[in-house]
Amino acid sequence: MRFLLISFLSIATLSSCALKTTEGLRIAPLTTTAIVNPYFANEATDYVYKAKIEVYGRYFGGILIVKKLSKNIHRVVFTTEFGSKVFDFLYEGDTFTLNFIVEDLNKKILVNTLRQDFKLLISENSKVSEQFVSDSHSVYKSEGGKRDAYYFFNSVENRLERIINASKRKEKFEIVFYSEAKEIAQQITIQHHNIKLFIDLDYIKND
Amino acid sequence: MHKSFLILLCLIFPVTLLAQETPMNQAEIAAFKSMVEATSKATSTIKSDFVQYKHLDFLDNDIETSGKLAFKAPGWVKWEYTTPYQYSVIFKDDQMLINDGGTKSSVDIGSSKLFKKLNELIVNSVKGTLFKDEDFKISYLKTTNMNKAIFKPYDKKIANYIASFELVFDRDDGGVIEVKMIEPSGDFTKIIFKNRTLNSSLSDAVFTN
Repeated sequence: MRFLLISFLSIATLSSCALKTTEGLRIAPLTTTAIVNPYFANEATDYVYKAKIEVYGRYFGGILIVKKLSKNIHRVVFTTEFGSKVFDFLYEGDTFTLNFIVEDLNKKILVNTLRQDFKLLISENSKVSEQFVSDSHSVYKSEGGKRDAYYFFNSVENRLERIINASKRKEKFEIVFYSEAKEIAQQITIQHHNIKLFIDLDYIKND
Repeated sequence: MHKSFLILLCLIFPVTLLAQETPMNQAEIAAFKSMVEATSKATSTIKSDFVQYKHLDFLDNDIETSGKLAFKAPGWVKWEYTTPYQYSVIFKDDQMLINDGGTKSSVDIGSSKLFKKLNELIVNSVKGTLFKDEDFKISYLKTTNMNKAIFKPYDKKIANYIASFELVFDRDDGGVIEVKMIEPSGDFTKIIFKNRTLNSSLSDAVFTN
């Protein structure tokens, strides 16, 4: 009887929700109030990635550098291969500071897109509002105003594999992590669905 | 005993021992410029290895990348990173040819004033012949084994990106051994050249993407 009720509720909830992200997932009871993204959480690590960016058919290369400076504070800097800075972002909790960006790229829409992408990439702790489960993953929804984030952890190792940023109805972009060690993502891709923007990041050891 | 004393001295007074930089006088500047120009004129090709250090004040370690440089007169340059990733840029005529780990692209420099300037800057710093450039205020320094020229841009737009630009020359042969680009924030990129070979044969095919 209880199983039937849960199944019925699940079907009702999922079918009323048009979002692709939760299709095929079952609603599960909350087992945690917050999840942790471990990939940019160590203050002792210089996170350095070779970056390849494709935007509307144009291609750029560069180096992405992320550093956790203290609790809730991250610097995100992008340079060319030659070392000159392209942009320099500072995140302090919910406060964002644009330290620097080259003049040609200083467009509000571009800055906001990158700001949002890297905010989701580096955010360490997120409150969980809903929980889902599939055969292979535990999925945690974190609400954030107009946009929500869905965190996909694989069930076997409890490793964060994917974050999807979505409005109530549509997926906007997704971050995929490929990692051998649990704390370092060897490769990261950021794929946008509503604009033609793709970012590929490959980890460079820096010590 | 002597050795450890020396090491101790180096540790205590590193700045004084390593960087006894004094300004050149007018005669020294003239002699230095003509030596660099003579070296440059006699150079048809350069092959060199390099190590690049990107310093950002908030990182624990500088980001180290390395690779090879090839230059062929009058102005073809191939700048190739081999470690820890494959990335090369060829400056050739009015083209900038990029190969980023197999992904190839090109930029027409002719249409962009900024790229033209960048190309000039790279060719001239490889050759060491930046002194005629009216865009920079130049100061000249010397130590016992090297000469140094520091370039500060007059143009405010360029100054937003580069506070100063330093070239270090071998005192004996006038070749460039180090390039340092300092940003307004104090962060810098330092490139050190090693195993430099002059005037060996260098096929045109090296400069194709």
